[in-house]
Amino acid sequence: MGTILGNLKTLWRSLVKKEAVEEDIGGVFRFKYGLFKELLNSNTQLLNIITDMEEKLKGHQLFGMSYIRANASRAVFHAFRMVKSLDVLSGHRYSQLYPVLEEIHQKIKAELETKREGTAAALVLPYAAIFKEMVDVVGGKNAHLGEAQNRLQLPVPLGFAITTNAYDAFLAHNDLVEEINKRKLAIDINDVESIRQTSEEIQALIIAAQMPPALEQAILEAYEDMARQLGRGEALRVSLRSSAIGEDSDLSYAGQYLTALNVTADRLLSTYKTIVASLYTPQAISYRLVKGIRDEDTAMSVACLQMVDAKASGVMYSRHPVRILEDNIIINAVWGLGPYVVEGILTPDTYIVAKDADFTILSTQVMPKPVQLVNNPTGGVEERPVPPENQEAPCLTPEQMQTLASYALQLEKHYGVPQDIEWALDQEDRLLILQSRPLRLKKPTAGDVQAIPRLEGYPLLVEGGAVACAGVGCGPAYYVRDLADLKDFPDGGVLVANHSSPQFVIVMGRAAGIVADHGSVSGHMAALTREFGVPTILGAEGASKAIAPGTEVTVDAYSGRVYQGRVRELLELQQPRETHMQGTPVYQTLRRVADLVIPLNLVDPQAPTFTAENCQTLHDISRFVHENSYKVMFQVSDLVSYEKGGAVKLTAPIPLDLYIVDLGEGLRDRDPRETTVTVANIASVPFQALLQGMLHPDLQGIEPRPIHVSGLLAVMREQMLAPVGDRFGDRSYAVISGKYLNFSSRVGYHYSVLDAYCGNTINNNYITFSFKGGAADDVRRNRRVRAIARVLEHYDFAVAVKGDQVQARFLKYPCPVIAEKLEMIGRLLLFTRQMDMLMNSEYSVELVVQNFLAGNYRLDRLSLGQREPEPSESTEVPSTEVRRE
Amino acid sequence: METFRILIVDDEDDFREAIMKRLRARKMEVAGANSGPKALEMLDEQEFDVIVLDVKMPGMDGIETLRAIKQKKPLVEVIMLTGHASVESGIQGMQLGAFDYVMKPVALDDLMDKLRQAYERRVLQLEYGRKNI
Repeated sequence: MGTILGNLKTLWRSLVKKEAVEEDIGGVFRFKYGLFKELLNSNTQLLNIITDMEEKLKGHQLFGMSYIRANASRAVFHAFRMVKSLDVLSGHRYSQLYPVLEEIHQKIKAELETKREGTAAALVLPYAAIFKEMVDVVGGKNAHLGEAQNRLQLPVPLGFAITTNAYDAFLAHNDLVEEINKRKLAIDINDVESIRQTSEEIQALIIAAQMPPALEQAILEAYEDMARQLGRGEALRVSLRSSAIGEDSDLSYAGQYLTALNVTADRLLSTYKTIVASLYTPQAISYRLVKGIRDEDTAMSVACLQMVDAKASGVMYSRHPVRILEDNIIINAVWGLGPYVVEGILTPDTYIVAKDADFTILSTQVMPKPVQLVNNPTGGVEERPVPPENQEAPCLTPEQMQTLASYALQLEKHYGVPQDIEWALDQEDRLLILQSRPLRLKKPTAGDVQAIPRLEGYPLLVEGGAVACAGVGCGPAYYVRDLADLKDFPDGGVLVANHSSPQFVIVMGRAAGIVADHGSVSGHMAALTREFGVPTILGAEGASKAIAPGTEVTVDAYSGRVYQGRVRELLELQQPRETHMQGTPVYQTLRRVADLVIPLNLVDPQAPTFTAENCQTLHDISRFVHENSYKVMFQVSDLVSYEKGGAVKLTAPIPLDLYIVDLGEGLRDRDPRETTVTVANIASVPFQALLQGMLHPDLQGIEPRPIHVSGLLAVMREQMLAPVGDRFGDRSYAVISGKYLNFSSRVGYHYSVLDAYCGNTINNNYITFSFKGGAADDVRRNRRVRAIARVLEHYDFAVAVKGDQVQARFLKYPCPVIAEKLEMIGRLLLFTRQMDMLMNSEYSVELVVQNFLAGNYRLDRLSLGQREPEPSESTEVPSTEVRRE
Repeated sequence: METFRILIVDDEDDFREAIMKRLRARKMEVAGANSGPKALEMLDEQEFDVIVLDVKMPGMDGIETLRAIKQKKPLVEVIMLTGHASVESGIQGMQLGAFDYVMKPVALDDLMDKLRQAYERRVLQLEYGRKNI
């Protein structure tokens, strides 16, 4: 900032010219201290960001790209603030850090840049021109349909694709990317309501946006072309289907986006926008968040197809999705249009066809189909009753079943993997392929293959459902009548509903199981449950009535049964759910960004490699700046020439190399010619209190020494091996005034800062204390963090433990209470310093805490209580489990 | 804590109003602006100690607004709120003299800490301005 630089130049000038009067030196120092405090503050914030990224990298918490962007930019900001503060403080002796920081910044920026690449510029493409290689331009659904028509000569409806170029042009025309990103910030991943609200706003934005004129023209021309070919003119109805990037790849976005059926010419363009908007439905947003898919990597292409006036429709799998050992073709069918199958409204007919030369029909299971969905003559679709004679009749003739099966087999062979196919039968009895995509198969488990007999001793609530995703889940039943009910869905609940819905995806990450009266294993939701690994039973007639809300139930999604209570025998078969974030694109991006932020290469300030040029990460920069800031700030030799405002050394019987800077009224009766002071010279109320604690008689003169307690030897070895200078710690610094104290010390990897104010106005008084334990994987050092947290909590501090970091606050108490707490912290700091050597087991955390609270500070008199057998490292409780709010 | 004058600049009405209300409950003197130009206009009319500024705003964005604020009133302290910010904005904000750069949404206690620190810096700077001009 110009002003700081300007002021500082003036400052240095006045110092050099020795024009500054004495009182100004105190002022100069206060100004420098202001900068120094900013530097420390940024150091703390950067360490917080690092700790938080480390937590996220464990893969248990959800986060999106906006988390990474926001924190990467904050991390860069704070590194920059540190560099700038140090450079200014030192009179520009650290300017070489700027290019180092800039290089890291550029690398981080490169990691966060959009990766999706635009290709050919066509806004629409007819199917005749589409092949599977064009997936980035037309999305999976379009690409596979073009491939089926052009390479396999399978019948598909006439149509064209509205490309991702069109999508990009549409967003750019309205500046939507920024607007959408901004709104996404309001999302709290765990709050269904915030997702719903944001979704509404973004969708409204998209629907209200203007179409670029060139795109409007391209779509209408392609539509007219199609109408001419079919000889239908304006009467041509189309279906518009989402064909998003990534929709059909490894991750199945089953049913996340919109399909609009029987669209009339006048609604073509508005429907296009609605489908684009469906990229931001609540379930699509949650899906991408949970799956770690970057919004930057998605784009919406749309399939515009001649509307099939379907007699019957359905879904088929070229192989059973769950019963992996059966290699047959499964066809589901209903009367009318397809949505009633994929949305799980009806339980469809199921025909099973063998993959032999004759396509032998193995079974025909016909279900009652009282209603059907048909095209409405004025546009859209409507439900109609099925004529009574058809209700319990199969939708397809055996020949049609076999024709479909042959299509399925061709598709499977062509793609080399099992396929999930949507089909329709038109009024001329032509079978058409509407969609084909890879079928996600679940790995077989022991439970899949072994038939589980009914278990005695537990009330059986449901039997005979179809398994959509095999597994066992147990939890309280939660009945979902409509989507609003999802808002209060409990973690670990079992979702019970009348019919399946892909919108349940919002809670799939948290559901222990799903049971629905209707729905088929080939529906969209079924595919999602397999992706999330939620044990799911569908088509379980009467289940929603048989299961009372709130009852604890066990879902046996191997045999299709639901029992009341916790069925121990089944819970043993429970599969651990995998962590979703790891391996996702968002996670990988964080991993790469974190590699430029987190690793600490500059560990030893004494090493010749401890230089600006060797900083490879933001952590290195902060460590380097932090170390040097103390040198710049506290160099006694620099300041000793001033009779005021210099640092002085404290001579006291405590094992710390402690330097003091007085901002005003912190010291008394001191000889201005001396560079050392004693405890008697301290006038600062909070510092006096802290020192009083450190000078506690029982902590006097105790230095780490051998004690014959088993388990200490390893620590002693480490002590002996450590360089002499490190053994009793690096320097500590106290910046004080009459009522203020900032005390910081670094001992090896540990770094602690205590900041306190202790005056007459209760509301101004505070203590903040933070302690970072060093390398996150160092279990023993972590223990000290937890021991400190336990003690501070006992003394009424508000404590937060995150990874290897404790942060504690104690606010708004009268001065004597603040002083009392500071005295305790003084004891605690010295006591735990020595306790490091005892931190050899989980048990020792308890030992340290108990002895401290009991006032036993002498190592040789510690109450060791009943020693447990030596626990092994692998039985450690992970540090995150002791997190407190 | 002594009160000082705060201006919240954010185009999101809900967020701005909520923060203003809660700061007022803590006896702070708070005003709000829904855009960069509006904030600059207010800056001509009244004195502020600390400005909280959203990085992403339609029209004149946070970085532009920061630049203009610093031209008008170099000693006003500015705390930036991360929008869906580019990494660049961290560097630019720092170059233009922003005091801090915090995540949005921000806990009120944390924001109070930052506001207090920013105000302390301002007091320090003002003290210097007087002595060295």
